[in-house]
Amino acid sequence: MNSVLQEIYSTILPSMPFIIGAYVLVWVALFVYVIFAMRRFKTVESQLALVERTMNDRVMNDRQ
Amino acid sequence: MEDMRKSKHPIGGLADKLALPALTLGTVLTALAFLLAFTVASPVMGAKVNGVELIGDEMIGNQILLSQKIFYFHMPVAVTSMVVLAGTAFFAIRFLMTRDALYDLKAKICTELALVFVICTMITGDLWTRFEWGVWWTWEPRLTTYLILTLMVIAYFILRAAVDEPERRATFASVFSIIMFIDVPISFMITRLIPSSVHPVILRTDSGLSPDMLAPMLCALFGFSLISYGLYRFRTRTEIIGQRVDVLKEALDNKLGN
Repeated sequence: MNSVLQEIYSTILPSMPFIIGAYVLVWVALFVYVIFAMRRFKTVESQLALVERTMNDRVMNDRQ
Repeated sequence: MEDMRKSKHPIGGLADKLALPALTLGTVLTALAFLLAFTVASPVMGAKVNGVELIGDEMIGNQILLSQKIFYFHMPVAVTSMVVLAGTAFFAIRFLMTRDALYDLKAKICTELALVFVICTMITGDLWTRFEWGVWWTWEPRLTTYLILTLMVIAYFILRAAVDEPERRATFASVFSIIMFIDVPISFMITRLIPSSVHPVILRTDSGLSPDMLAPMLCALFGFSLISYGLYRFRTRTEIIGQRVDVLKEALDNKLGN
């Protein structure tokens, strides 16, 4: 590669870690929030299942 | 039990049905923006070099600034953070008008999302600043006002955690979020109001963005807006169902206690 081309491309390789870092970290931040939202949803779902089970047990006991 | 679809804060309605398509479309658009940014958008030129070279079908006599590609995510996440904070302020005002706790919940969820997008903005901005300006931080007007906004978003959650009584917590948080929102137009306009500001101004009539650069930027902007909408509805729905489960548990406990 001649010196002019070297100068033209001189900032590309040094900037790569910053560009990759920026794009990856945006996706990671969003992904972490999605995981947090999903975990909260799972907790609510399991609480709902527990209420449902308790109510069913109560109905069964009342019948007996 | 109140019909969930007919209540003032309905769940499972059209707004919730649109959440998953919005999230999917948002993800596709941001992925498309990423691809367009590196394939279609023309590179930005930097300092002149000693000579010219034919690259492709163009004569190039400047350094190619690849770091500018960060902009295609940085600016859309920054705008999304400001839009979501407008949502926080709107729900805070609605809470103060109606004293309906669900508006406070919606304001809290909007601020959660704002925190995610504010962090994304700070990360992308800081990485660009480090490479282009050679420093991790500079007290430039846009950076300073946005840092104040970031600290206020964090302070919002500290404030919420510090107050136990729900009504007082919601009132304090609502007033604080309205104050927090005042910084949004200041941060947005500061580069226009202070000419010495070195932060690039993109949203203006003569921004110089060619259609090939505008396409990835708009794709990312709509993409992140749709993602924030989808996540907002998902979180709201989860929390409203969670609150109803709590009410059911309490009623069941009382009944079992009798």
